[in-house]
Amino acid sequence: MKDKGQVKLFKLAEDLVNFGKNQGADEIEVSILDGYEFSVDVRFGKIENLVEAGSRALGMRVIKDKKTAFSSSSDLSRNTLEHLVKNAIKRTSFASPDEFSGLPSPSSRHTDIPSLTLFDPTISKLSSKKKIACAVETERIALDDKRITNSHGASLETKEIKTVFANSNGFLQEYDQTVCGLSLGLQAGDTDNRVEDYWFSIKRHYKELESPEEVAKKAVERTIRQINPKKIKTQKVPVIFEPMMTTWLMGFLFSCVSGISIYQKTSFLVDKLGEKIGNNSVNVIDDGLLPGMLGSRPFDAEGVPCKKTPVIEDGILKNYLCNTYAARKLKLKSTGNSAGTGVNPNNFYLKAGDIPPDRIISSLDRGLILIRTIGHGLNPVTGDISRGAFGLWVEKGEIAYPVSEITISGNLGEILNNIEVIGNDLDFQSPISGPTIRIQELTVAGE
Amino acid sequence: MKKTAPLEFENHFPLSQEDILKILNFSLSKGGDFSEIFLEYKTYNFINMEEDIIKETAESISLGLGIRVLSGEKTGYGYTNDISLEKVRKAALTAASIASTPGDRNASSLTPSSFPHNYYPVRESLHKASLENKISLVQECYRSAQNLDPKIKKVKVSFIDLTQHVRIVNSEGLDISDVRPLVKLVCLAIAEKTSKREAGYSGGGGRVGLEYFTQSLSPEEIGQDAAHEALELLEAEWPPAGEMPVILAPGHSGVLIHEAVGHLLEADFNRKKTSIFWNKMGKKVADSQVSIYDDPTIPHFRGSYNIDDEGTLPKKVLLIHQGKLTGLLQDRLSARLMKKSCTGHGRRQDYTNIPIPRMSNTYVDKGEYTPEEIIKSVKKGFYAHKYQGGQVEDSGKFTFSVSSGYLIEDGKLTSPVKQATLIGTNIDILNKIEMIGSDLQFGLQTGTCGKEGQSMPVNDGCPTLKITRMTVGGQS
Repeated sequence: MKDKGQVKLFKLAEDLVNFGKNQGADEIEVSILDGYEFSVDVRFGKIENLVEAGSRALGMRVIKDKKTAFSSSSDLSRNTLEHLVKNAIKRTSFASPDEFSGLPSPSSRHTDIPSLTLFDPTISKLSSKKKIACAVETERIALDDKRITNSHGASLETKEIKTVFANSNGFLQEYDQTVCGLSLGLQAGDTDNRVEDYWFSIKRHYKELESPEEVAKKAVERTIRQINPKKIKTQKVPVIFEPMMTTWLMGFLFSCVSGISIYQKTSFLVDKLGEKIGNNSVNVIDDGLLPGMLGSRPFDAEGVPCKKTPVIEDGILKNYLCNTYAARKLKLKSTGNSAGTGVNPNNFYLKAGDIPPDRIISSLDRGLILIRTIGHGLNPVTGDISRGAFGLWVEKGEIAYPVSEITISGNLGEILNNIEVIGNDLDFQSPISGPTIRIQELTVAGE
Repeated sequence: MKKTAPLEFENHFPLSQEDILKILNFSLSKGGDFSEIFLEYKTYNFINMEEDIIKETAESISLGLGIRVLSGEKTGYGYTNDISLEKVRKAALTAASIASTPGDRNASSLTPSSFPHNYYPVRESLHKASLENKISLVQECYRSAQNLDPKIKKVKVSFIDLTQHVRIVNSEGLDISDVRPLVKLVCLAIAEKTSKREAGYSGGGGRVGLEYFTQSLSPEEIGQDAAHEALELLEAEWPPAGEMPVILAPGHSGVLIHEAVGHLLEADFNRKKTSIFWNKMGKKVADSQVSIYDDPTIPHFRGSYNIDDEGTLPKKVLLIHQGKLTGLLQDRLSARLMKKSCTGHGRRQDYTNIPIPRMSNTYVDKGEYTPEEIIKSVKKGFYAHKYQGGQVEDSGKFTFSVSSGYLIEDGKLTSPVKQATLIGTNIDILNKIEMIGSDLQFGLQTGTCGKEGQSMPVNDGCPTLKITRMTVGGQS
């Protein structure tokens, strides 16, 4: 990291925990993030924005008499922090006692942090010049294609983050992680018939990042395939989800298996543990320990060691994903998914099948490939989905033409039962991911 | 260092006027055209009630500064939340590195300036109000939702108030400050009947004081509104799918104008020619009944500000006048590059972000029809009432998720409808606005707009609008 203040942060976290205890907190936890970011945006070969900065943030949770208060600060002066601790202890008296509150009990499990390979030491050694050149090169390759008529620009971003975590149950650990990303957004067609899309690659290790050629090629291909879209009639057809679309669907599934939505009864999957909610080929896993992956971490936001949790096994709902609070509410165990008061995914994915994506397309007689959705339109309470969409129309196993101004609608519960084919192209491009899939039937609304 | 509670803005930035001037000049040492320091201190309070208890409260402090250097079309930016002179100089050096010619510009002095207006006059500051007081607002809201009907099975209420102090100094000698309050009380209610479960949402707030909740909108009304929506959705049907006449409800439908039109009139997208509007200034882009404004100066509105985040005094902008494109939302950089005057729409989420052109309070001006006349004119169609959100692409293609609406049959609103999607292309829809109501209203004061990863408080509004034809997505 760029700063030699590491030991100081470790000590600061420990000191604040002790200060909180001395001031009368029953329990206290402190987390500190120390981040360093670099980002450059280039457009038409020139730098638009260059940002470089370091910043720190501290968060804490204080519990007294089963009542909870939170604080956070980006001002790390002792004065401010001690004031916040005292204030938080005072504020606990305004909350209601909650028997489910409190820190997790100490765990006997322990993650071997180096084996997760979350940190790439080469990232801090990359020169600004090299990073800028990488973004410039990516865009240049794309602009060589004359079908591309405008550019949103290319960006390269790197981040180094140290996480320090301490609590009054004796937990005191830290870990370092890196993230780097290369992205490019393009437009094709004239002003009144514009289509647009983008591509990106995000990895923890710089050497694993897709090359400028790969990112440019994919961004171009994704953009130009949408030129001259047609409208289609409203109908029910089989729909193929590209990996990014399956990822979007998995994101919605995540919010529906989150222990928080379950105890709050805001998910259609309430009281469904052990029940068949999808067909036999559906296997969904949350795994915080996959080496080098974006969603991996040694422990979650309240210090619970991460692990591998089966969520759906052969179509049967096996586990909800919980932080300590949701787990206590549901009489379950934390799955190491805490994001503070919420939950977040580790690596949450639909397990790959063995069919290559091009075979999934060639075996489709007539239907839609879903390539992008826009808008909101997800209702976890019912599982209902309704989104604006862009797609490619398939006739006799071949892509016939792009379609736009359509919406797709359906229900996640039904979709899980109607996944007919699962592709072999799972790529872990983001903490939530999934391969190409084919759904038996969805409503596509058009003209 | 003084042992004081973290309260006064100045105490957080141990930088003298002389230090600041030095940093501005230091950041121009590599030859930039313009440098600026954005100093920010923000406090935030949060209360959450669910399952009949006050679950938790939170307090947050954010402190930091960002230094920006402009050099031609390029922007260099560095920020820090460690306000030591050493770290501030480092941020300045980062920002400066964007320029590469020997510098000759200099800021010679700073002139502290103020402004005559205050768009958020507050009687009882929520920042100073006691926690007990705020908790009782939350409880009132919660109970009114819960007690409305036994079918209401779950309620969640949150209260957020924040106070943002900003000071902006730049190499042109500007030195200006603002303190912006922002409050929101929101309620989610879930109703259940047999195996059906539906959620309703409502809220209120703005740049207001405690008096808002007694004089403008009571916590009870917010709770009841959310509960009503959830109950009504229990009876709702799936929407029809296909193209049909669509009426947009007043107020809430402003989000459609915000997304489908407002964003594409932000100057940066036009300067870069990625917006469908870039070559249409002065041209007809909408039906001649349509006029659209963006106004950051409406008192107490969520999207209002006394100065923008570049220190510019904001102006009300006429974006579309009787169907013709007349204005863009300009920040400093785009205005300079496009040789236009800045309209005071340069906003940023916080000190870690570069300011970009953003909307404030965007609305369609009122028309001549009564809402009843408009509804009566539709034989069979869809009435969009409340929205979950929307999104637009630079090409003008947009999507809106309608959380609740109604069928229109023989000129009357009939069955409630849930979860519909509206899609279209902006210029096409703007030209299909057939009737405009006389009932201009604004949406809930709870909206947040996202652009390039930055979230900003905004508001939007419109009267009842009739669209001749629009694609509605649904299941039937």
